[in-house]
Parts: sequence; C-alpha cells; structure tokens
Amino acid sequence: MKQATQSKQYEKINAFLIFFVIVSCQIGVGIHGFQRVIYEEAKQDAWISVVLSFILAHIVVFIMFKTLEKFDGLDIYGIQKEVFGKILGKFLNLLYVIYCTFAFFAVLKNYIEVVNTWVFPYVNARFIAIAILLIVIYAVTGGLRVIVGISFFSFFFLLWIPPVLIFPLYYSNPNFLLPIMEDWAGILRGVYLMSFTIVGFEILNIIYPYIKEKERKNANKYAQIGLLATFFLYITIMLITIMYFSGPQLERVIWATLTIFNIIEFPFVERIEIITICLWLLIVLPNLCLYLWAAYRGVSSIFKIELKKFIWIFASIIFIFTFIIRSRTEINTMNNYFGQISFYVVFVYPFLLYLFASIKKRRRKGTGDSS
Amino acid sequence: MIKRQVLLYYLCISLLLFGCADPKILERVSLAILVGYDVEEEDKVTATVALRTVNQELQSVVSIASQTEKTSKGTRIKASLDSTKQIVAGQLRVILLGKKLAESGINEALHTTKMNSEMSSGLYFAIVDGETKPLIEKKYENISDIGQHIFYLLDHNIEEQTILSSTLHETVRDSYSPYIDMALPLLVQDEDDVHISGLAIFNGDKMVGKLVGSDPFYVVLVREKYNAGSIQLSIPGEPFKNLSDEIPDEIAMAIDSIFSKRKIELLNKDTPEFEIDVKVEGRILEIPPSITTEDPEVIKKLETEVEKKFEREISRIIKKTQELNSDVFGFGEVYKAHVGTKNVDKKKWKELYPTIKVNANVTVKLLRNGVFD
Repeated sequence: MKQATQSKQYEKINAFLIFFVIVSCQIGVGIHGFQRVIYEEAKQDAWISVVLSFILAHIVVFIMFKTLEKFDGLDIYGIQKEVFGKILGKFLNLLYVIYCTFAFFAVLKNYIEVVNTWVFPYVNARFIAIAILLIVIYAVTGGLRVIVGISFFSFFFLLWIPPVLIFPLYYSNPNFLLPIMEDWAGILRGVYLMSFTIVGFEILNIIYPYIKEKERKNANKYAQIGLLATFFLYITIMLITIMYFSGPQLERVIWATLTIFNIIEFPFVERIEIITICLWLLIVLPNLCLYLWAAYRGVSSIFKIELKKFIWIFASIIFIFTFIIRSRTEINTMNNYFGQISFYVVFVYPFLLYLFASIKKRRRKGTGDSS
Repeated sequence: MIKRQVLLYYLCISLLLFGCADPKILERVSLAILVGYDVEEEDKVTATVALRTVNQELQSVVSIASQTEKTSKGTRIKASLDSTKQIVAGQLRVILLGKKLAESGINEALHTTKMNSEMSSGLYFAIVDGETKPLIEKKYENISDIGQHIFYLLDHNIEEQTILSSTLHETVRDSYSPYIDMALPLLVQDEDDVHISGLAIFNGDKMVGKLVGSDPFYVVLVREKYNAGSIQLSIPGEPFKNLSDEIPDEIAMAIDSIFSKRKIELLNKDTPEFEIDVKVEGRILEIPPSITTEDPEVIKKLETEVEKKFEREISRIIKKTQELNSDVFGFGEVYKAHVGTKNVDKKKWKELYPTIKVNANVTVKLLRNGVFD
C-alpha cells in the first residue's frame, strides 16, 4: 500500500473537527431555497421528508465509516482501486472527481445567482466568479489544515440564523401544517429531492485518512453529531417556512429562506437579507474549498500532479463553465441534474461499495491472498 | 511565497473595489416612499409616486411623479425620463391601489411587487375608495409629506389592531391561499385629510365590498388575538331600567385594554358547521353615570349584554361576507386542516362558503373600570 493517501503526521486533524467539517460542508446554497422544491412534492408534510432524509443520511454515514474502517488509512479513491482493480478503480475515481467538480460548480453558480438577483443586479456574474475563485485558490493552497480551519470558523457564522428565525414566528400560522401525513408517495419524492440540500457529508470518504489514527474511532460519533446539528437547523427552517407561507405562495417563492429574512426590520438595518447574502460567502467558502480539495485528492490518485498546478487548472475550467451556464433556467436544470446524480453518488453508492468491499475482504481472507 | 503575496494584494484590492460595484449615492437618487396604482383605459396602469430626494444642502424635498404605462417598471422608466435623479424603490413603504383597479383584480400588482427583490416584505398595501392619483397629488394643509403620513397612519393603526395587518407578505400569502380571502385597509380622501374608513374585502383577487364603522374590530376579533384593542359599542338599555329612571334606551359604552383569544372548530364536516369561541377580557372606559358599576350584578348583566352584542355583530358580518362570498376569516383553512387538501380546492370552497353555518360563542369578562365608580 503505497498510495498517496498515506498522509504525513503533521497534516492530520483532530476527530472533533469532523463535526465542523460536516456542518459547514452540508450547509451551503441549498438552504436558501430547498423548501419550495420539497413542498411541491410533499406539500404541508415537507418537514417529514426532511426528517426521513436525515435518518437516511445517518445510516449512510454509518455505512461509510464501516467501509472506511475495513481499509484502515485509505480514502475512497484508494478503496476503489483496491476493490475494483487498478483500471476500473481509476475510472471510478475519475467519475468521483467529476462529481466533486460538479458540486463545486453548482455551489458557486447558485451563490452567484443569489448575489446577482438580490444585491448586485448590474454586476457581471463572471467578475464575482473570479473574485470568489481567487479566495478559494488562496485558501486551498494553504492545505487541508487551512480548509478545516475555515470550516471551523464558518460554523460560527451560522449561529446567528436560529435567533433571527424568531421574528417570522409572529406571522406564522400553525394551521398550515395540517393535515399531517396526507400523501406518502409525495413525502418520499420529497426525500429524494432533499439530496441536493443535504449532501456534503460524503467528504468523509476523502478526509478520513487525515484524522489522527488514535482518534479515528471517535470520528463516527462526531460526524453523526454534525448531521444532527444540520438537521436541527433544516427542520426549524422548514417548519417555520411552512407556517409562514401559504401553500401556493411557497410554490412560487424561489429563495424562501431569504424571503423570510426580508420581513425582519431593525432600526439600524432595514434589509437584513442583503447583509445575510454577503455573509453567506463565508458559509459557502468551506463548501468550495472542500470540494476542490476532494477533487485534487482524486486526481492525484490517478496521476501525479502538484496541488498548486491542479488548483489553477481546476479554477480555469470552472471559470470557462460559467460562460456556458448563465440564465436561471439553465441553473435550475443543472440543479435538477446535480440533485439526481448526488442522490445516487451519496445515498446509493456507499451501500454498493460496502457490499463489494465486504465480498472482496472475505474472498481475500478465504484464499489467504495478500497484495 | 511571492505568488501568495501577490494573490493576497489582489484580494485586498478587489475587496475594496467591491464597494464600487453598484453605488447608490443618497444625493443622486430619488427614494420612492409611496406608490399609487390606478387602472386606465386599454389595460394601462397609472402609477403616482411620492418621491423624497435629498439635495446638497441636506434638505429633503418631496415631489410627485405620475406616469401611465403597461407595466409598473414601464412607468418607472418613463418617470426616470422626467426626473433628474435615479428612482429607487428600496425605501418604498406603502402601495395604494385604486378602487377600480381593486375591483378588476390586484393579482398583477401583487406579483410585480413581490417579484422585485428591491421591495421589502414589510411594506403595506391599502385600497383607496376612489382614485389614488388625486389623493397623492393633492396639497394638504396639514400634511407636508403624504408618503410618510399614510405610512404612519397605517402603521400605528395596525399596531393598535384597529385594522388587519396588510404587509406585502401577508397580502400575498392570503391572495395565493385558496382557503382565505384578503381584507385590506380602506383609505378615504377627505376635504383636507386622509383617513382609514374600514376594510376592503375581496373575493379571490377582486374587491367585492367593504366593512366600515366598527366592523373591522370584529374581523380582527375572529381572525387574530387582541393584545390591546378597544371598541365603542351600544347595548340595549332595557335590562337596566330597574336601576334608575335615567337609563336611556341605548347605552353607549367603550371598552379598552381588550385581550382576546379565539378558537375556531369544525363541528360538522358535511354541512359544514363551525364554532367560534372568543374569550374577551377588557376594561370599561366609558359608561353612562347612571349605571353604578360597583354592583357585581350590574357588571354581570353588562357582560351578558356585551356578549350578546358581540355575537350578533359577528354573525351579521359573517352573513355579509357570505353574501359577497369572501372568506376573510379563514374558515377554509380550518376546513382544509380537517378534511385534507385533496377533498377541497378553491372552487369547491367558494361554493361551500355561502352555505356554512357558524355559531359564535363569546365570553366577556370586564375586569375593571377606571378610578371612579
């Protein structure tokens, strides 16, 4: 085992930081407007979809750790090579890299769209893209420890959200939550559509070897707590949204969370959502950094490339893509595709991988083969 | 290492330059405070805007602009051609709609407003009994800034719950919901003043009638919780005749500090039949001197009379809204919560609403009076 995943001691992180990584990677742009998408399918039971999707996520994280623990010290790229052989493994690694790139692009583009719509309608989207990409480049060149540091900080930028959500309660009507559990098929479709919002924790697959060996046992616990924290934020936002908007109105609100913030007025700030959106860059940043870094790990498992070189190439490719996808409809189509793909990559694939990995391990034990 | 430094410098510079992205300098913009929409012939809309500009001497000047165009942005573009400054809508506080426009449907006006991210969800909607243009354009003797004036007029009345709250968010919420109808404040232009006359009630997005006088009080009583309401009412003097000879036939009294709770329950799904339970607590503020309130028997009698009066009024207003088929109380929401969204849609609820039966149960508790019996 001489994979590149064997990381140096000083690069490793403490297990409790996994909590911050999970929360900051899960909460990104999806939170701005996930309510509408889920509501269209599950109606007033949309919050049940959120609950179910998080139960599923907990199971998936559990399975992910089971797989990772089987191959101690390998990330998903190493495992895929080990389980599927060199060629097929590398091919799958490439697919995973493409997934990470797609995720990066989706986050970036959605954020820029929000900035363009709410704050700066006259600023060129590509200018914002360059500005954000440069920050990301700057951060990622610092290495994983810097990225995890950003995740840690960005968590504290999330803490203002729950108190702010008290204000819209004044306008809420609990009757909008009734009747409960009307359409189970709709609720399940809602779970499927949650994937765009909930993904992010798959970063565990890549970050796992970087946790200090002694603490790896605890990583699972911290990851689950991280999921729980995101769950509480999402469920609160979902419940308040359903009570705040009337049904057909919610189906037409594009960024429900921002629209809720819109009604809050302080004597010193009249439009809080404008500040919110600008602050959101710090919440989106760890998302971008982690996905870029994950893509780099994948590429470096396929062929040798320097981190700096890769980042610049990656950023240029992303920048070129911003020329191709520009309008709202294109972004929506992209989000749909990404949601579907992420469902299979994050919620279905870990089970398959676990299955193949167990078969592989058992067979190896049986024949006494060691490679 | 040098590369990283260059990058850092670049970031600092772009951070500073972001301020130049889309500047709006106070002296160079006109702030729209109040907009009024009227319908004209050929589907055209007239927008009348009360603008506030700040000039170099830091005095703020109020001016009025009016344009007719097919879209509201169109009117804004046209108004910009007349104005020396860019018109921005971020400070918009009130949108007024003319009666004619309200009667032909206000969905479009709501949608346009909601679509623009510049607008705050907290701005107020109100209907003008008549046209908005003369109301805004008129020079009033005691009103220097019509935009501010109408905003404060609505704001304090909504806070004191004399009318229903009509923020953009709540108006849009009710207009999109199939199970409740809008009720917006109704403004009237006087000789030299503007005042609130009641509520304009809607069927769907079309205005169908108005509730004036003390009617809005009862709408708020059924729809919301009172935290500090007040009402002036008259009850029959008949039961009090034995107290003194001076009792008039109609006793006029005022109650304030009203706290209320209300509960709407569905009794029967098929008819459908509803029950409203309202609990009111308040303080007697005014009553004829011939009625001595120190006697607990008298207070009890007063309470029953006020209860009867409230019940009568609520039933009367519900009947009136049923005739106009305007469910401003939101009985539909309660009905939907019980039978499920699949069994009732907008059309069906509109057919059902005029036939529903409502029993109003009011309990009044008069807690105290003033400092003199």
